[in-house]
Amino acid sequence: MNTKRVAMLVLLGAMVVVPAAQAQIKHIEMRVEGMT
Amino acid sequence: MKQHLGRQSGVQTVEVSLIDGKVDVTPKEDGQIDPAQLLKATYDSGVSVAEMDMTARGKIVKDSSGSFAIQVAPNRSFALVPNELSKGLEPLADSATQVTVRGQLYKKLAGKKKADASVPLKLLILEVQKKE
Repeated sequence: MNTKRVAMLVLLGAMVVVPAAQAQIKHIEMRVEGMT
Repeated sequence: MKQHLGRQSGVQTVEVSLIDGKVDVTPKEDGQIDPAQLLKATYDSGVSVAEMDMTARGKIVKDSSGSFAIQVAPNRSFALVPNELSKGLEPLADSATQVTVRGQLYKKLAGKKKADASVPLKLLILEVQKKE
């Protein structure tokens, strides 16, 4: 029973952590000219 | 321009500073943002882009021609412009290590008015922020 509970906690933890660790573009900065 | 960029796919927020001509774009976490599309959209809104920098997290990959790239989404990667920093990342190619880098994707050439949309954007790494 305890093993199942621990496995469930690990699974839920992984679901929370994995999206945060995904590859992604975090920020884009541009310097523009001719803006009024 | 702010509204036009804000409507582009994958864009969460756009901040424009009129004083120094800076445009900050924060992407959504859906990975849909396309810097080349953003570059085009900026030109379409009537201003020219002098420089575009990107901070991204991804894996270093090596393609069939032996060139290195950073993969920032399953279907999106940017070839790396070789420099000292990119050479330091080459041993990580095709490993599970994720790197966070800041680099230059585009810089307007003197005398050129518009970016050439047919040329794929390459990333010149300016800073390696994290390896994990």
